[in-house]
Amino acid sequence: MIQLEGLEFRYPQSTFTLQISSARIAPGEHTALIGPSGCGKTTLLNLLAGVLLPDRGSIAVAGEMVTAMSDAARRDFRIRKLGLVFQNFELLDYLSVCDNILLPLRIGRDLRVTADKQQRAADLAERVGIADKLDRYPDQLSQGERQRVAVSRALLLEPALILADEPTGNLDPGNKFLVLDLLVDYAREYAATLVVVTHDRELLDRFDRVLDFQQLNQWRPA
Amino acid sequence: MRGVLYLAWRYILWHRWKSAILIAAVTLVVYLPLGLQLVVERTATDITARADATPLLLGRRGSPLELVLNSLYFSSDYPQPLNYGQQQDLRQSGLVDPIPLYVRFHSQRVPIVGTSLDYFEFRGLELAQGRQLVSLGEAVLGARAAEVLGVNVGDTVLSSPESVFELAGVYPLKMPVVGILAPRFDQDDGAIFVDLKTAWIIEGLGHGHQDLTSSQAAGAILKTEGERIVANASLVQYNEITPDNIDSFHFHGDLSRLPLTAILPVPRDNKGRVLIQGRYQSNETLQMLSPREVIDQLLETVFAVQRYVLVAMVMVAVATGAVILLVFLLSWRARRGEQLTLLRLGGSRFVITSLMLAEALVVTLLALFLAAVLTALTITFGGPLLQAVVM
Repeated sequence: MIQLEGLEFRYPQSTFTLQISSARIAPGEHTALIGPSGCGKTTLLNLLAGVLLPDRGSIAVAGEMVTAMSDAARRDFRIRKLGLVFQNFELLDYLSVCDNILLPLRIGRDLRVTADKQQRAADLAERVGIADKLDRYPDQLSQGERQRVAVSRALLLEPALILADEPTGNLDPGNKFLVLDLLVDYAREYAATLVVVTHDRELLDRFDRVLDFQQLNQWRPA
Repeated sequence: MRGVLYLAWRYILWHRWKSAILIAAVTLVVYLPLGLQLVVERTATDITARADATPLLLGRRGSPLELVLNSLYFSSDYPQPLNYGQQQDLRQSGLVDPIPLYVRFHSQRVPIVGTSLDYFEFRGLELAQGRQLVSLGEAVLGARAAEVLGVNVGDTVLSSPESVFELAGVYPLKMPVVGILAPRFDQDDGAIFVDLKTAWIIEGLGHGHQDLTSSQAAGAILKTEGERIVANASLVQYNEITPDNIDSFHFHGDLSRLPLTAILPVPRDNKGRVLIQGRYQSNETLQMLSPREVIDQLLETVFAVQRYVLVAMVMVAVATGAVILLVFLLSWRARRGEQLTLLRLGGSRFVITSLMLAEALVVTLLALFLAAVLTALTITFGGPLLQAVVM
C-alpha cells in the first residue's frame, strides 16, 4: 500500500533531515508510528499525504506514485483517496457539524454535495454517536465530539488510506479509545490502511504493527 | 464555485456583527456621495423648475433672495412690503398681467398666501375637492397643507397670531375651508390660499364689528362727532366672516396703499417682459427680478458647498476603503490555520483565494444593494427634505 524508497527531506534553514532508505506498509495494515515530539513523524505524514514533497526519493501510495504527480493531481489524490485526522481536529468554527463533515465535497474539484453524500454524512455521524448534533457548531461540542466530527469528515469519501496525526492527543481516556476504535473498525471494515502517529503506549495493542520513527529515520545529528 | 460561495456565506453569517459593520461601512462609502449628488441635483431641478415657471417678480428693494424665497417658496422672512397701488400701475402699463401676493401670516406654521384667482390659473392649480374662493374669509388649501392640518372641506382653519404678547396685534381669523387642491408636489401643496382682502383682514387692516347704529351697540358708544362715532372696547369685533356679518367688513383709508409682499407680473409677450424690466431697472424703491437668476446664484453656493462636501466624502471613502482592505488582509492572516487545513484536506490555493474573495464579494454586493435601496429612498424622500433645509 505504501512504499518509500530513498526518501530524503529537509526543511529550508533547518538541519533536521528525514532519511528513509526503504519502508513498506502493507495494504490494510494498521500501523502505529511512535517517537518523541519533534522527531519528524508529522513531516512523514505530510509527505505521505503529498502536502510536502521530498527532496529525493519516491513515495507510492495505493499503486500511485505521489512524488510524480502534479499539484492538482496530488490534491485530487488527497481528497479522494486519503482520510486525514489531526490532533487539533481542525474543524471550521463557522460550519455546522454536518457542513464540517461535508467540507471535502465543497473544496474538491468536480465534487458536489448530493443527497447520497448527505445521507453518508448522517450515517457516519450516527456511527460515531453525534447524530443528534448535526446542526451544532464546533464550539458547542466537547473535545471528544469534535474529534468524532473530524473522523467522520476523514471517512466521508471512503478513503483507502487513513493518516491520523495524534488523533487522541487532546482527548480524555474514555474518548481516546472510542476515537481510535472508530478508526480501526472502519479500516477493518473497508480494508483500508491505517497509519496513526501517537505517543500513547496504551493504544499500541490495537495496531498490527508499531514503527519506531527513530529507527525508521536513518539521519543522525552530527 | 458553488461550494466556495456557500462557505463564504456561512462565514459571513457566523461573523454576522463583523460582517454587518463592514457592510454598513461600504454602504455608507458608496451611498453618501451618490445620495448627496442625486439629492442636490433633484432639489436643484425642483427649485429651478418653479423659478423657471415664474418669469418676473416685483418687490421692494432689499434682499432679492429673501423676496424670491418668500414669494415663490413661501419661506423666509416677511420682506418689506410694496403698495397695492403698484399692481394697478403694472396693469395700466398693458405689458403684463400682475398677480398680487401677500405672504405674511401662518396657520400652525403653514403659510397663508393672500392672492387673487389669477394665481390659480397662472400656476395651473386644480381643485381635488370643494370649490374655488368665492367670498371673503374663505380658504383653499394645498394637498399637503390639508394633510398637515388634518382638515377637509367644511372644516375651518385659524390664522396664528403673530405674537401672543402683543395685545393690539393681529387677531386670529377663523376661515372655512371651501376647497382642497390636487397635489402638485411643489410649494403650493403646503400653502393656505385666501383672497388678498382676507389676508388684509387677518392683519387687521379691514374688520367687521357690530353696527354702531344698532341698539345692541348703544352701550359701547363713547361719543358721536358728525359721521364719526367713537366706541369703547366692549364693541363686538368679528373673528369670523359669515354670511350674516360679511356686510359689516370694511377697510378704512385708501386701498391702493394697502401692503403686498410681491407682485408676479406675467408678461403678455417677450417684448413686454423686456420693457417692464427696463422700466424698473433704475427704480430706487422697487426691484423687478428674474427669479431664475436669483435661484441660480443660490444654487451656485449650494453646489460650491456640495463640491467641498464631496471632496471630503471621497477622502473619507478612500480612508474607509483602506481600513476595509486592512480588515480583509488581517482577517486573511488570522485565518492561516483554516487555510492550512483546507490545503491539507485537498483544497487548492485557488479555492482558498476564491473563498476570501467571495466573502469580500458578498459583503460588497450586499453593501451595493443597501446603497441602492438608500439611494432610491433618498430620491423619493430626500429631495423635499433638502429643499426644506435649503429654503
